[in-house]
Amino acid sequence: MTAAINELEKRLRLAGMLLIIGLLVEAVCLLWARPLAFILLVVAGGLLCISGIAVYLYSLVSVDQAASER
Amino acid sequence: MHFPTVWLLSLIAFSVALIGVLAAWPGLTATRRGKILAFLVLFLLPLLCMAMGVSSEFERSKTTSFCLSCHIMASHGRSLYVDDSTYLAAAHFQNHRVPADQACYTCHTNYAMFGGFRAKLNGLHHVYVQYFGKPHDPIVLYEPYNNRECLHCHLGARSFEEGAVHTADPDLLPAVKANKVSCLSSGCHDVVHNVGQLNNVKFWKGD
Repeated sequence: MTAAINELEKRLRLAGMLLIIGLLVEAVCLLWARPLAFILLVVAGGLLCISGIAVYLYSLVSVDQAASER
Repeated sequence: MHFPTVWLLSLIAFSVALIGVLAAWPGLTATRRGKILAFLVLFLLPLLCMAMGVSSEFERSKTTSFCLSCHIMASHGRSLYVDDSTYLAAAHFQNHRVPADQACYTCHTNYAMFGGFRAKLNGLHHVYVQYFGKPHDPIVLYEPYNNRECLHCHLGARSFEEGAVHTADPDLLPAVKANKVSCLSSGCHDVVHNVGQLNNVKFWKGD
């Protein structure tokens, strides 16, 4: 169970880091009003945030599954 | 910086701070309240920030200053200030027949279904050509200008429907409305940006 919790915490940290970087990219793009910023926001910011959310959601599902298997 | 951007940046800063707290102490999520907080901070707030950010950038990409921020568009931007009412773009811009802060977008978007989306795709193509291709000099439209974009505003207007030149030939208006006779290239309103002649014209020193 402790291993599963450690795994959950690791994934939450990873999700948090991805989201922080994604949101910082978004903030920079909002301040930098150029056409490239638009692309950077949609591609890089969007990808990082979606990845962060996906890791968070996966962590919920995977740890529940690990706990139930035990 | 306009107010929505400041508000959105504040929301992003708030979200980043909360995410930082959760990333530093993931053990907080062990309790029921922690789980709710994690859902809010790692799911709802980032989604909200992204949706508002993309929406804000979409709106900003419609502005005249955004289009003219590319060096290649500078002469087209100058053409909006030509002091000659026969210059179609200048006449529309200076007399606010189109919103001055969205002048390029208003005339050059596509008013068909998913037109706004297609305009954004074209914008991505502009950026691609600018950085990885070889832009035309002077730049040209990807396809002939469609009367639909003019008719979006002018259709039904008295000056358009009852104008002396428009009604002189009974076949003209139906042909224009069917996009069979171009408003621009049929010899009627063919002075639009004409960036090649900007050295020989006077400029309006308006706002």
